[in-house]
Formats: sequence, C-alpha cells, structure tokens
Amino acid sequence: MTRKTHRITMAYKGATQMGAPTPQQGTRTMIHTVKTLLAGASLALGLAALPALAQDDYPTKPISFVVPFNPGGSTDLLARKIGESLASQFGQPVVVENRAGAGGTVGANYVVRSDADGYTLLMGVTGANAISAALRSDLPYDPVTEFDPVSIVISSPLVLVVRADSDFNTVQDVIDYAKANPGTFTHGTPGVGTSMHMTGELFALETGTELLHIPYKGSAEALQDLLGGQLDSMFADILVTSEYVKSGDLRPLAVTGTQEHFLLEGVPTMAEAGIPGFAAFSWQGVFAPAGTPPAVLDKLYAGVSAALETEELKEMFAQRGFLVEGIDPAASKAFIADEVAKWTKVVEAAGLRQ
Amino acid sequence: MEGFLAHVQLGLATALSAEALLFCFLGVTVGTIVGVLPGIGALAAISLALPLTYYLDPTVALIMLAGIFYGAQYGGSTASILLNLPGTATSAITCLDGYPLAQKGKAPLALFVTAINSFVGSSFAIVLVMGFAPMIAAIALKFSSAEYFSVMLFGLIAASTMSVGSPLKGLAMVVFGIALGQVGTDVNTGMFRFNFGILELADGFSLVAVAMGLFGVAEIMSNVGQPSGAPMNVKGMRFRDMLPTRPEWRQIWMPTLRGSAIGSFIGALPGTGPGIASLMAYATEKRVSRAPSEFGQGSLAGLSAPEAANNASVQAAFIPTLSLGIPGDAVVAVLMGAMILHGIQPGPNLINDQPAMFWGLIMSFWIGNLMLLVLNVPLIGLWVRLLSIPYSLLYPAIILFICIGVYSADNNVFDIYVVLGFGVLGYLMRRYGYPATPVLLGFILGPLLEEHFRRAMLFSRGDLTVFLQRPISAAFLLLGAVFLLSIFLPGLRRRFALRRGTRG
Repeated sequence: MTRKTHRITMAYKGATQMGAPTPQQGTRTMIHTVKTLLAGASLALGLAALPALAQDDYPTKPISFVVPFNPGGSTDLLARKIGESLASQFGQPVVVENRAGAGGTVGANYVVRSDADGYTLLMGVTGANAISAALRSDLPYDPVTEFDPVSIVISSPLVLVVRADSDFNTVQDVIDYAKANPGTFTHGTPGVGTSMHMTGELFALETGTELLHIPYKGSAEALQDLLGGQLDSMFADILVTSEYVKSGDLRPLAVTGTQEHFLLEGVPTMAEAGIPGFAAFSWQGVFAPAGTPPAVLDKLYAGVSAALETEELKEMFAQRGFLVEGIDPAASKAFIADEVAKWTKVVEAAGLRQ
Repeated sequence: MEGFLAHVQLGLATALSAEALLFCFLGVTVGTIVGVLPGIGALAAISLALPLTYYLDPTVALIMLAGIFYGAQYGGSTASILLNLPGTATSAITCLDGYPLAQKGKAPLALFVTAINSFVGSSFAIVLVMGFAPMIAAIALKFSSAEYFSVMLFGLIAASTMSVGSPLKGLAMVVFGIALGQVGTDVNTGMFRFNFGILELADGFSLVAVAMGLFGVAEIMSNVGQPSGAPMNVKGMRFRDMLPTRPEWRQIWMPTLRGSAIGSFIGALPGTGPGIASLMAYATEKRVSRAPSEFGQGSLAGLSAPEAANNASVQAAFIPTLSLGIPGDAVVAVLMGAMILHGIQPGPNLINDQPAMFWGLIMSFWIGNLMLLVLNVPLIGLWVRLLSIPYSLLYPAIILFICIGVYSADNNVFDIYVVLGFGVLGYLMRRYGYPATPVLLGFILGPLLEEHFRRAMLFSRGDLTVFLQRPISAAFLLLGAVFLLSIFLPGLRRRFALRRGTRG
C-alpha cells in the first residue's frame, strides 16, 4: 500500500514537471519527458529484458488485436495500420476485433480476462485505460496493475473552441466571464468521463472557475449545438474542429498541449494563454494483460516502434494531427500510473467519483 | 442554374465510371440481401465491409457503403411482409400492415408497393439533398434539446393510438418500453443504471436485439406448435397480382408523399434515424387517415407511409453529414468514419472542397435507387417463393441468421442471450394479447425524451417554460395538443351527447 502511494506521488510530481512550459524543440511531447525521467529508473529496476528461451519464437500463431470501439473511428484505423505492420514483421496474421461498449471498457475488460501470452492485445485509450479508474468505483479491472502496456503510441491535445461570432476572443475572456458568472459558461462533451470532459474539469480546477458541463452522447450533437448557438464552448478534437476553424464557423482559443499544434498554427497553448502548467491530451496505446513475459513485450515494442517509422503511419499522423510518442513498456507503465493519479485528483476535486 | 447543371454533370461523370457503377451495384445488392436477412442490418454490414474499402478510391468506397445503407431499407420490408419477421430493426413497423396483406394473399402487391414507396421516398429526399442541403442543414442547427424533446413528445402522442386492441395494454407496453430504455448509462452523471453490474448493459439493450427478439424470435416461437407445412400457399400467384389497381394507387400516393416528407424531416435531424421516421410516419398516417380502423388489418396506406419514410430518412441523413460534417444517425457516423480514414474530413467545406465526391455520391444515389427498383421488382417472385419453404427448414435458418446478425453488430455474445430472452418475452406477450410495437416505441423514444428534456433543463437552468418560449418547440407542443384533443374529443362529445340524450 505504502509502495503504491509512493509511486503515485512520485509520478504526480512528474506530471507537474511535464506540465511546465518547456522551450523544447522537436515533435515529441510531454510523454517524452517522462521517458527520459524514467529511463534511468527502468534500467535500475532491471526491466531491460533478457530474452527467455520459451518466448524466442513468439509469435507462432495469429494475434488478436482488440479495438474497444466500432470500426471507422481513429482507434480502429490506428490499430489496423499498426496491426498490418506487425503482421508483415512477424509473419503471423494480426486480426483486429472490434468489441465496442461502455466507452471502451467492455473491450478492455475482455483483454484483461485473456491469457497473458501476447496473443490478445488491446488498443487502449485515455477513457478506458485511465479516466475510468479515477471515475468508477465499479470498474471491473485496474488499468494500472492489470495491464502491461507495450507502448503509448500517440497523443493528441484538444482545443478550446467557441463560435466565431461570440464575444470570447481569448482564454482570459472566458476566465473573466466564468468568474463573474459562476456556473453559466457551458462546455459540451461527448459524455461524462471522456477526455474532453476531464479537460474541462481540469480547466475549471486550474483557473478557479465553475463551468456548466453539458454532456452529450458523442461529439456530433455537441458540435451541432455549438454551431447552432446553444452551447458556449467545447474542449474538442483538433482534427474535427480544424475544418470549422478553416470555414470561419469556430474560433480556437487555445490548445491544451505543451506546444503549438501543426493543424492550428498561431493558436496559443493554455500555458501561453495564461494558465501556467496546463496540459491535457488524449492518447492511444497498445496494451497486453498483466503478466505477459517481458521478452514478448519487448518484441512487441520493437515491432510497434518499427511500425511508427513507416511512411504510411507518419502520413496518417500528420493528416490526423497525432503526435508520435512510441515510449517503451516501462515508461508507458509509469505514464499510466501518472495519468490515473492526475485524473483522480481532478475527479475528486470536481466530486465526480462514483 | 448553369452551376447546378455543371455540378450534376460532374457528379454523373464520377458516378457513371465503370468502377463506381460496379461498386454501387455491389453495395445495393449486398444491402438488399442484408436487409432481407432477419437480424443483419445495415450497421453490421457496413461495419464488416468498411475495412475492405481501405483499398478503394474514397468516392467509390463511399458509393458502395452508402449503397449498402439505403439498399438495406429496400430489403428490410420483405421479411416483414412475408414472414412477420422484420428484416432490420427499423422495418418492424412494416409488419403491422404488410403481414396482414400477405395473409390475404396480396404478398406480391405489398412487395411491389414497398419497392415503389421506397423509390419515391428516396427520390423525394435526394431532390432535397441536391437542391437544399445547406439550407436544411441551417434549419437543423436551430434544433436544440427543447425542440428535440417537443418533436419526440409529439411523436409519442401521435403514436399512442397506434396499436390495435386494448388501449390499456398498449399504454402499459409503452411504459414497459420506456422502462427498458432506462437501462444503460445516465447521460448527465455517467452512472450505470439498472445494469445489475453487467458491463455489457452499460450502453443499454441493443435495439437490434430487442426488435429481433420481440418480433422475430417471438413469431417463430408462436408458430412452432403449429402443424407442419409451409407458411402460405403461393400457388396461383401471378405477376399481374403485383400491380396495384387504380383505386389502390389512389390509396397509396398521398400516404407515400406524407411519409416521404416526414422521413426527410426526421432524417435531416441528427441523432434520429429511420426507426423513428417510420414510427412517426405510421402514427401520423393513422391519425389523418379516413379509414384508421383498417390500420393493422392490411391497410395499403399503413404500409406505404412508413416504407417511404424510412427510405427518405436514410437519404436525408446525408444532409447534415455532407453539409455540416454532423452525422444524421449511427450508420452515417460509420460512413463518416470511412470518409475520414480516406483522408477526407467532413465539415462545412466539404461540398465546396470535394465537389466531385459530393455530387458523385448524390448522383450515385439516383443510380443506386434505380438499380434497386430494377433489382427488387423481379425478385418479388423469388421472395414470395420463400413462403413455400417448410417451417422445419425455414425457422432454424432464420434463428441462425438472427443470432449471427445480433452478434455481428458488436461482436458480443451477451446480445444473443438478450435476443433469446426478448424472444421468450415476446412470445408470452403475444400469448396474452400484449402488443409489441408500443414496447419498441417506448424503447426508442423514451431515452431520447429523457436525454433532451434533461439537457434542455440544464440549458434553461430548470425553467420549464423554455419549451413554450422557443417557437419551433412550442409549435410541436401545440400540434401534440391538437392530436390529443382529436383523440379525446370524439369520446367526450359522445358522452356529452349521451348525457343530453338521457336528460331530454
């Protein structure tokens, strides 16, 4: 128990450091910082794996790659592209299985209950693999202890958008308004416990404001209300909103990452807009059930790393606004603990724990 | 006008390429088949076909996937009419009048009429998409939760007299449907409700599983005890039987147009779907009909309106999708996913940025619907022959298809238990005279009513007058009140007249 607490505290310290605005150049983001921070730790712990003989020939049969959402979404596409690359590297088929439900937790729960032999993998996401643990007391699995992450593959920051004809021109305008009128500034999200919702709560927490959260079933209807003038704002997906920014329907106020985003050039970060240390983003990664042999994890990590270097994936990331992470299993594990701690703090502050 | 013609020309150039024609044909054929097969709906079929399109040209891929979507609406009514088993969840309503027609030996006529209705409904909506998409999309943006709530409430009122038989039992079943709809996740708090710790129920019961259980499995169970044989004697049915007579045409055309209009309206509103469109069209038709007592007994009007509506709604669902980037229903959301993964981000600029794709897709709707008409009319003879297959072979096959269809929607074994559970329930309901359609009505509309009511309350900070302050919302509430009066007034007047009579 003490050990666990200690780790979370340590990880959270990492999180605040990560959030600090860094003049760092290059495309890799905050997760990268954790990677550097933890590289030493993982070496010291001896996690650099020695290949065990039994797993040397992995994989000897098809791998099932579970996507916890319906086909057609970004998680599905990412999993299929990575799966294709792994299949050609390993010489074994990688079969994508869509097991949708309950915001990804049905798929995650399925993988947790599978054999930890590297033949059942999960394309995990922020909601099911971190926020749910903070939010739900009835979650049937523990994202920190019951998964061995292979790699957090990509991250994507969100953007705070308002209608182009609204009076809010800067983040400060929003803060001023929300302070003067507590609980009236609305932000719409695809649902309770999504990274958009949590980012809104984090924003309220860090700025000392009270926003009115309007949950929807999916982002389409929220966007409809935002465009239609019912809703004041959204913490939204950059790719989706960039089209409306281009068309002049929406105005971006700030991105939630630590640096300017290439799909929204000229839009400040939250830190630049006056909320120092603000950082929130959604991410996706490859996960195996806990207890997967380290040699298998390493082989998978090598495969995923190679996949991330292919032109096809690079092109997809650029088009969809994803930031490449590709951190290793140990760093990914620490990152998940970190995320759960970060969102637990937000959930508790907002009184959302169920 | 010149610009419009140039666009049509551009669209035709795209849609008439050999590749586009081939995949359009493939799409509508697959659509018809999944529509006919009970349980397997458009959502499952498109989800399955989606990965195959990763290697196609984006426009061609969309043409094919869209073809599956609207093709399924043509096929969906076939099983409803012939076997009283809905081919897709949204064609459950077609059973109400389609099957009685088939029992009267008018199966070919009913199938022919639905093919025509489907074509007219689709054409109506495609014309709207071509001419007025941005305008209609702008109106759709005016619809917020208060408006949605009032429209849904209107729908519920209109549909309240939909079923035949005991009104009390009908009402009880609506309430039961609403209660079933409460299972799932509370939208405002994210809490799991009534899921009894079962994670698979966190999104509620699947509509496909409920509809297939109550209608499909229950129908089969009720027939199992019957003497062996085939469902119907099809000998002596001729091609001539297919064509409506002149008085029959007269019964059809107005309901078809009304159904098309209602379907287009509902379809253009994001977050609805063909199920709601056909329910509302049927309910409205029954209210405005001069012969409401024929509904449920094989009324051609009762068959035509919902069939036109579900096809119109499917085509109209492309209005918000293509002009705003907001998907009209769950199936179009998957189609939008297909666009995104081909590198086309749907948004307000799509029509201008991708004219070849937009107009190509629209023109392919015409081509696809013509193909469907040509495909479906000759197939009527074949489908009717299905009725000569003995129960002992037909029913196990259908149960198998239902299980496959329900499973393939989410790859979830739990849904198969749900469909079988609802099958048993549906059987018991039939046995004791409780109608199944109101359950479906409550199940579809209940959660939407709740979601939009609560969201409207969030926006208005608990002020109930918001529903009357917003003009569109107030108009639908007024219309609902008129419908209520028209239901109760005749009864009241009769009672009043009776009382006067006894006094005098």
